[in-house]
Amino acid sequence: MMLEVKDDLAQMLLHYRIERFFYGEAALLDDRRYPEWLALFAPDIRYVMPLRTTRTGRDLKHEFGGPKDSAMFDEDHASLDMRVRKFASGTNWAEDPPSRTRHFITNLRVDGETDEGIAVRTAFLVYRNRLERQTEIFAGERQDVLRPHEGGFRIARRRILLDQSTLLTSSLSFFI
Amino acid sequence: MTGENHASARAKARRIFDRDAGTIEASAYVDPEIYQLELDSVFKRCWLFLAHETQIPKAGDFLSTYMGEDPVVVVRQKDGGVKAFLNQCRHRGMRLCRSDAGQARNFSCIYHGWVYDLGGELINVPLEEHAYGKVDHKAWSARAVPRIARYKGLIFGCWDENAPEFTDYLGDAAFYLDILLDRSPAGTEAIGGIHKWVIPCNWKFAAEQFASDSYHAMFAHLSAVAVTIPGGSYAGSDGGDGRQYSSDRGHGTGFMLDAGRRELLSAFVGPEVGRYAMEEGMASAVDRLGHVRGQRMHAQHMTVFPNFSFLPSVNTVRVWHPKGPNEIEVWAWSLVEADASDEVKEAYRVGGLRSFSASGIFEQEDGENWVEIQRVLQSPTARDTLFHVGMGMGKSRKDDPDFPGEVGWIFSEHAARGFYAQWQRLLTEPEAPVIPAAADKEAGHDA
Ligand code: FES
Ligand SMILES: [Fe+2]
Repeated sequence: MMLEVKDDLAQMLLHYRIERFFYGEAALLDDRRYPEWLALFAPDIRYVMPLRTTRTGRDLKHEFGGPKDSAMFDEDHASLDMRVRKFASGTNWAEDPPSRTRHFITNLRVDGETDEGIAVRTAFLVYRNRLERQTEIFAGERQDVLRPHEGGFRIARRRILLDQSTLLTSSLSFFI
Repeated sequence: MTGENHASARAKARRIFDRDAGTIEASAYVDPEIYQLELDSVFKRCWLFLAHETQIPKAGDFLSTYMGEDPVVVVRQKDGGVKAFLNQCRHRGMRLCRSDAGQARNFSCIYHGWVYDLGGELINVPLEEHAYGKVDHKAWSARAVPRIARYKGLIFGCWDENAPEFTDYLGDAAFYLDILLDRSPAGTEAIGGIHKWVIPCNWKFAAEQFASDSYHAMFAHLSAVAVTIPGGSYAGSDGGDGRQYSSDRGHGTGFMLDAGRRELLSAFVGPEVGRYAMEEGMASAVDRLGHVRGQRMHAQHMTVFPNFSFLPSVNTVRVWHPKGPNEIEVWAWSLVEADASDEVKEAYRVGGLRSFSASGIFEQEDGENWVEIQRVLQSPTARDTLFHVGMGMGKSRKDDPDFPGEVGWIFSEHAARGFYAQWQRLLTEPEAPVIPAAADKEAGHDA
C-alpha cells in the first residue's frame, strides 16, 4: 500500500516537471523567442510532422506517411536552426507582421522510458491569428521523447500528428 | 459547350487583357462569371495533370484527384493501362470513392450499392432484376475521362474528345518539360506523399508565376536566400544571364544559364543534391538532353497551361486546383531520377519538403503574396485597376539558336503575356481549336 502511494507521488512529480517544461516551451513559441525555443532540442533531434491522408477504415495503416515519404516537417537540428534564423532575417514576409499564436498543451500521458528518454504524448490546440483577421486553429497530438538534461529536459524526438489531411492554411510558417 | 450563356463573361475577357498595352484588369482574378467561363472553356478543353505513373504502380491502385473542379478517380487497370472517371455515382450522384488513394477491386457506392469496375463501368445493381428489370450497364457507367495521355512518367487527362494529341498540345514546350522528366535513362519516380494545402487566391497567380516570374525570387524569397546562401545573395545587380520562353499554347518557363548552378540548387534542396546535379546527374542529363539543357540551364520554373507547374532539378511538381475564383488547393510532390542513389533520393525528400511545401522556407512567401493580393481584390476599386504585365515588351524573338519558341531575357513577362493570350483566346473563341491556327503570327507577337 505504502509502495503504491510512493509510486503515485513519483508519477505526479514527473508529470508536474514535464508539464512545466511544455508550458515553458509553449510560452517561448507564443512570445516568439525562437532561439531560446531551439535550445530546448537535443543536437540529434528528429522533428517530424507526417503527411496524413483520408483513408477508409480498413486501410488506416496507410493514413500517415512513412519514413520514405515526404512530410510536412522532417527536420534535424540544422534545418530547425535555419527556420529559426529565417525569423530573424528582417525579410521573413510570411511572418512579418508576425502571427499571434497561443499553444495549449494538454492530455499529458507518460508512456514510459526508452533508451532514448521518456516517451510522452500530449494533445495540442494551436490558435493562430494574423494580419487583419486571418484565424486558424490546429489540433493534434505530439509524441515526444524527452531526455533528462541539467535538472530539466531536452526534446530528443518529436512527432506531430495533425488532425487535418488537406492543410487548412496557406503556409506552415510557424511551429506547432 | 455546356449550353450555359457565357456571353457577358466572354465580353469581359475580351476587354480585360490587352497584350499590346501589356495590361490586365484585376477582375480577371476575382470575377465569378469569368471563373465559371474558365471552368468550361479552359479546364474542360485543356490537358490536365492527373498522376505520376509510380503513384499508381499496380492494378487496382487508384488516386482521387481533380480536373478543374471535377473530382475524378485515376485507376491503374489490369492490363497496365490507366483510366479516369468522374467520382460520381450515376444513380443519385453519391461520391463513389472516398479515399485519397489506395487499392481497389472495384468501387461500390455506399448509398444504394451500385458497383463499378476499375474502369468506371457499372457492373452490379442491387435488386436489379426485381426493381428495374434491366439497367443498361454501359450507358450508366461513371463518366469516363475520354482522353488519357502518358508522357515520360506523367499521366494527363482531357475532357474534350476532340483535343489535340498531348505532344501537339505541348508543342516546343516539350523541350523544356523534358528537363524535368528525361535526364536519366531510368526515368523518374515520385517520392511518396502529396502535400495538399489551401491558399485563398486565384489559380492564375500561381500558374502565371511559375510560367513567367523569376523576377520575384530575389525579393520575395530574401529570407530563404539569407539562411541558405552564404553571403545571402545570388544574383549580381544586373540580374545575371538567363532566358524566358513563351508558347502560343500558353505554356511558359524561365531559367538561368551557367553561373550559380551548384550554389542555387544547394540552397534550394541541399548540398547533396547540388553535388548530384554537377556530377552523375549531369553526366546522364548531358548525354540525353545535350549540353544546353543538361549543363547550362538551371533554376528553371515552368507551367504547362493551365495549372501544372514544376521546378526541374529542384524536382517539386504541383497542380493548382481551382476552388472558386478566390481559392486554390495546392497539390505538390517531388520526383527523383529512378536510378539515383538512396542518399540522393533522401536528400531530395527532405530538401524538397524543407524548401517547397506548405512549410517550405521558399514556398511560404509565395502564399503570403497571393493571399494578400486576393484580399485586396475584394475591393471594387482594386478590382477594376489595371496591372502592369509589360516587362520586356518587344524584346523576345523566335530565332534563338539554342532555345525553341519565343525567347527573351529571363527578367521579362512575355511568358505571362503568352499565358494570358491563350487564356483570353480560349475564353473568347469557344469554337476555335486549342492550338492557335495562326500560330506563327501570335507567337511572334512580342517579337
Ligand atoms: S447514389 Fe450510388 S447507388 Fe444510389
Ligand atoms: Fe516563389
